Amino acid sequence: MDSRAATATIGSTPRDRVARLDDASFGAFYERTSKALWAYVYRVTGHAADADDIVQEAFCRLLRADIAGGEDGHRKYLYRVASHLVVDRWRRAGRERVAGGEEALAQVAAPGVGGDGDVARTFSALARRDRALLWLAYVEGESHAEIATALGVGARSVKVLLFRAKRRLKDLLSARGVER
Amino acid sequence: MNWFEVTEHDEERIAAFMARVAALPVRRAMADPLQIWWKAQMLRRWDAERKVVAPIDFMQPVELLAGAACLAFLLYRALPYLF
Repeated sequence: MDSRAATATIGSTPRDRVARLDDASFGAFYERTSKALWAYVYRVTGHAADADDIVQEAFCRLLRADIAGGEDGHRKYLYRVASHLVVDRWRRAGRERVAGGEEALAQVAAPGVGGDGDVARTFSALARRDRALLWLAYVEGESHAEIATALGVGARSVKVLLFRAKRRLKDLLSARGVER
Repeated sequence: MNWFEVTEHDEERIAAFMARVAALPVRRAMADPLQIWWKAQMLRRWDAERKVVAPIDFMQPVELLAGAACLAFLLYRALPYLF
């Protein structure tokens, strides 16, 4: 048997067909989750093109992996992969803040809608890790252990890091008067 | 550092603010899911192909080395008869 024939056999075992998403179910899942995932990545990175790449890569990896736990398991896996990719990028880019990042973030808010612009600008003023921590904790409702896995930090550190992020956000909200 | 600086009221403020952040409109055309699906299928096929070919790739230099060693041994044993 040549390698191509062997590959075709490996890729079509009954177990694979059961465990993996087909194109229709993937399409429906993608419609439900892609925008929220993109928003998360974009709010953390501040770069739309990076967010496009990371979201595509995360979905690609989901399709290549056998993930148990149904839709919830798939969603958690997506956020974990996307967070890893975000962390990889900001480590590669070093600690320097990319010029225009904050402006780019604010642009997502509808022009002329003052409230949304303030919210986006206030959130973008936080450090990237704080943004990721707060999003995963408050928007995704992930546990400390899940956040630790997603962001590659110690499980015990998450509580402290999250507390500091909350405190910084609280100070920002008070300073900028972004309440309602 | 005061560990009690974030009160329950602050928690509520933060939760409300994060809800507003999450609700910010996303005006971005997302990639076609079918395109991502096919890309993943292709990558999966490559992964499987690489897994199948990996032992062959690993054994090739081993076979070459063994062949060279055998040839050297035979030459050594045949030397007295050659000259």
